Amino acid sequence: MSAAVAAKAASGAGGTEGRLKELMLRGLDGEAAAHAELLADLSGYPRGYFARRLGAGAADLEDLVQETLLAIHLKRATFDRSQPFTPWAYAIARYKLLTHFRRLGARRMVPLEDAGELLAAENVEEGAVRHDLGRLLAKLPGRQRALVADVKLQGLTLEEAAARGGLTPGAAKVSLHRSLKRLAREVRDED
Amino acid sequence: MRTDELIAALAQDARPVRAVSPWRRCALAALGGAAVAAVILIAWLGLRPMGEAMANPSFWMKAAYTSGLALAALALAAQLARPGGRVGRGLLLLAAPLVALAALAVVQAAVTPMADQRTIWLGVTWTLCPWRILALSIPVYAAVVLALRRLAPTEPVRAGAAAGLLAGAVGATVYGFYCRESAPAFVAVWYTAGVALSAGLGALAGGRLLRW
Repeated sequence: MSAAVAAKAASGAGGTEGRLKELMLRGLDGEAAAHAELLADLSGYPRGYFARRLGAGAADLEDLVQETLLAIHLKRATFDRSQPFTPWAYAIARYKLLTHFRRLGARRMVPLEDAGELLAAENVEEGAVRHDLGRLLAKLPGRQRALVADVKLQGLTLEEAAARGGLTPGAAKVSLHRSLKRLAREVRDED
Repeated sequence: MRTDELIAALAQDARPVRAVSPWRRCALAALGGAAVAAVILIAWLGLRPMGEAMANPSFWMKAAYTSGLALAALALAAQLARPGGRVGRGLLLLAAPLVALAALAVVQAAVTPMADQRTIWLGVTWTLCPWRILALSIPVYAAVVLALRRLAPTEPVRAGAAAGLLAGAVGATVYGFYCRESAPAFVAVWYTAGVALSAGLGALAGGRLLRW
């Protein structure tokens, strides 16, 4: 698992909304770089959302992602700056999924879920990984858990993580080593 | 086309965007549709003598009822014109004129002698009224749907219902310039029926028309 993916998985959806909305607002003001960053950032979310509903290998997956990005671009004037970004983007992705089903001639209901669904695990596999990780980490005592998360998931250096946890670098190193050994043992036992 | 190429192409097109006001767009569309409906009314049925109408409280009662419905429908349509829009407050707004007129109708029925009940509930035009309102709503519906298509309704059936409701309410307001029925009981049943008909058909058509 790459550090970037892990960091995203660990940071959760709360900060994502703030970041995406800021990019959206800057894009609306005409900042092309922010707009490009928003679309690039965003492309993973509908992909995950659609993959979870159509199956990861579905042939139309990428078409659907592109249609969604295009709609987000073309309809961005309908975004209300006083409102959160995620529900707006989610509604568009869901609408595109509905349109897709209609095109297939299938009368299928797409449940109206919480908009956070869009920001949920980026794809099926990643969701499973995050789930497993969370379960494993939960077996560690609080302090060690924080240390592992900071160093291995967030990508902090050992020194930074030690400072955050109020440890000396040496103690942090020993603690991290023990934690990882324990995690390895847990995984082995599970298998 | 690969997704990253698409993103690069779209980013090229990142001019500043002015936020649209769905409320204003729907209102302008409804007004345009109302003008067309008024022309149709004049050519088709004509106007009632306006001097007499203006002095008549029932004219104002009807106008207040149907324009109240139109305002609530406008709020609903504007909400549903945006992705993820919620209807919440608009439904309360819609309930207000309905409840008020229903109360008037009940009071009127309570103080009316048995022999006149038929008159206040059916008037003389009850078989025509809902259909005429529906006919007058058509140009309004067309204009509002065009406006909605340029926005981004993500729930086509609900947005279609709101557009139909708005069209029906505007159509009924226009029809009030011809119709001489004056009983709240009549208006509460037959005007409401015409508006409801328009809303129902609007929902049906919306599922097909409101695609973007």
